[in-house]
Amino acid sequence: MPILELTAKFGTYAVMAAVLVFALGVVTLRNLFHCALCLAAALIGTAALYVVLQAEYLAAIQVLLYVGAVVTLVIFAIMLTEHLAGKTVRQNNAQSLPAIAGLLGFVSLVTVLILKTPWPVTPAALKAKTSVMELGKALMETYVFPFEVISIVLIAALIGTVVIAKKDEEDLPR
Amino acid sequence: MTLFGWGVLKGMGVTLKNFLTSYFRKPDEGGIFTVQYPEEREKPVENYRNFPFLVYDGTPEKIRCVACGICERECPPKCIHIEMELDAAGKPARKPAVFDIDHGLCMNCGMCEEVCPFDSIFMDHAFEVTAPERQKNLVRHKKELSKSNEYFKKIRPALASAVDQKRKAAEEKKKAAVPPPPPQSAGGQAQTTAQGPQ
Amino acid sequence: MRGVEFYVDMIFVTAKAWILALLGRFLPDWLIVLASITISGVAILCLGPVIMMYLTLLERKLIGRIQNRYGPNRVGIWGLLQPIADGIKMFTKEDIVPAKADKIVHLLAPIAIVVPALMIFLVVPFGERMTAVNLNIGLLYFIAVSSITILPIFMGSWASRNKYSLLGGMRTAAQMISYEVPMTLAVVPAIMMSQSLATNTIVLAQAGDYDLHWFIFTPWGLVGFIIFFLCATAECNRPPFDLPEAESELVAGFHTEYSGMKFALFYMAEYMNAFTLCAIAATLFLGGWQGPFLPSWMWFFGKTFVLICVMIWFRGTFPRFRVDHLMGFAWKFLLPLALVNILLTALWQFTSNLAAWFGSILVLGVSLWILVRLNRAFVPEKRSYPLEG
Repeated sequence: MPILELTAKFGTYAVMAAVLVFALGVVTLRNLFHCALCLAAALIGTAALYVVLQAEYLAAIQVLLYVGAVVTLVIFAIMLTEHLAGKTVRQNNAQSLPAIAGLLGFVSLVTVLILKTPWPVTPAALKAKTSVMELGKALMETYVFPFEVISIVLIAALIGTVVIAKKDEEDLPR
Repeated sequence: MTLFGWGVLKGMGVTLKNFLTSYFRKPDEGGIFTVQYPEEREKPVENYRNFPFLVYDGTPEKIRCVACGICERECPPKCIHIEMELDAAGKPARKPAVFDIDHGLCMNCGMCEEVCPFDSIFMDHAFEVTAPERQKNLVRHKKELSKSNEYFKKIRPALASAVDQKRKAAEEKKKAAVPPPPPQSAGGQAQTTAQGPQ
Repeated sequence: MRGVEFYVDMIFVTAKAWILALLGRFLPDWLIVLASITISGVAILCLGPVIMMYLTLLERKLIGRIQNRYGPNRVGIWGLLQPIADGIKMFTKEDIVPAKADKIVHLLAPIAIVVPALMIFLVVPFGERMTAVNLNIGLLYFIAVSSITILPIFMGSWASRNKYSLLGGMRTAAQMISYEVPMTLAVVPAIMMSQSLATNTIVLAQAGDYDLHWFIFTPWGLVGFIIFFLCATAECNRPPFDLPEAESELVAGFHTEYSGMKFALFYMAEYMNAFTLCAIAATLFLGGWQGPFLPSWMWFFGKTFVLICVMIWFRGTFPRFRVDHLMGFAWKFLLPLALVNILLTALWQFTSNLAAWFGSILVLGVSLWILVRLNRAFVPEKRSYPLEG
């Protein structure tokens, strides 16, 4: 059904364009809360692209972690600050032109790198589908050391949070 | 039992019991006591007072009110307006020609019922009264206010029968107080006494 | 020849196939694919709001009976047309937006909260062959999508430009995030025992002799079900976890400034969330659509209905949690219990004989006792502030 494939392609390009537009919105919008919402939209768009590329597990994890946790954290941080949509906040920078030049150079360098790297795109690799079981096995067998290190880092972060939040109590007069 | 969570389960048991028995229990035993107006109505208590009405015995012509104006003077918000009927010769005829009570002013206090010496104005039970306009139909005239003694007995049986007994006793006393016509044989005595100082 | 039960069971699937066959006569292939998607989508879009409407009526009638009064019974027999009257009321109310509110975000928040609530319907197995989209990461999809729900709450509370809305929104978001963690961990045992994330496979893994293999009849399943159900009640902001939106506390919290259709959308999202969470609880722990005699979708709706009645029962029974009790319950009680539950499931994977039962109950009892002791409310010592001079 070529019409459906064409529509799917068109849809994918539309989602990619939307992600780029939202990402642009994150850095250019005046209202900080709107920026956070554009970030959430960009991340959901990325998850949609993962679904198109047949990595559904990654898409679900992307939504769960990024949109459900990271953006929530960002919004909490934004809400606890003042001067959100102030007209006094400078939107432009005096160094826009050198920044854009540097950015273009970086983008062209990365594009050349991506196009020139011999990615192992073999038919076997194209047909491979990730299953949750394979991921679980890989985590527990091949990648068990990074897994444990990550868990230690997370525990350290949790304990650090509790310690920081608790420290204020000792300053109260007894 | 002081298990953790036992109070929660006990509470849920209470609500479940209430839920299930609400289908079976009567209102007095703790069931649902909603009176679903307007299909069911609660019988008002006898002394419930809503708005005044005038009592007539038999036909609306025989209204008990004599237009003395005591209730008009005693009414706190001054919602009663009475005009005495004048007969052909221009003399007061002890009947009201106009008896208006304003629904908007009346506060249902019942003072008019308490001060009326002729047992003619009492507080009604009818509350389902509506009017489409505020200015015109909220003033109740004599025709709407007059209700029969049978109606009075129906809504306030104890008070109505007490009033009837009182009126009957008063009538009989009046009949008994009229002196009997003097007999012919005792005419001399009567004339002697009737002559008085000469 | 298959019996009548099979045909009644497949009634919706056959209806859809019949419609597609009818359309196949005069439509090209690619439109048939689109039509298939559209039929499922339309079915869910009609089912969701209708369920929500009659859930509100059911709640009002049940709570009325618990509180010794009739529920709504004026509009139609037994109040069955009441949700329609409510719908008309919501449609015709004036849409008031605060003057300094952020208009775009104020408009987007109710829209964005209904979308995840509807998306969860896709992976719920309504019957034996009636999962709308049988994803092989079904449960993970459900968890991911229900975590998006937090964003529109922030949007709604921020865009209203109202201190109480902001406070309510922050509390709601904090509550939802906190209760997501034990919810996800309570689901893990079901995944472990059925070796798959797909919801239909999890239901099939509970098949057994006369429905005795439902996960709720095992120690870890029972504990997991209770944890999941409590977290589900907290995720939909239902009493007793409804501090963020209670009228006596924060004047309706984050949806204070919404009226008319926007409020109706928030309301709809809450009830649809309640329905889908009960549906997932029934799928994961109560054996989904399995059951003798009746068609599978009837069993499914029956089990979900029973769970919803339990949620309504909670509403009629309990006073509200205080906000620090709310958070403490999630982090200090449910989370450790869910972790112990995962350990128990791992033990259960090896053996499931009497020794395993005994061991599990012992471990659960000990851990519950420890948690209760640790969570005991403490009364701080009296402080004395001696006056100066």
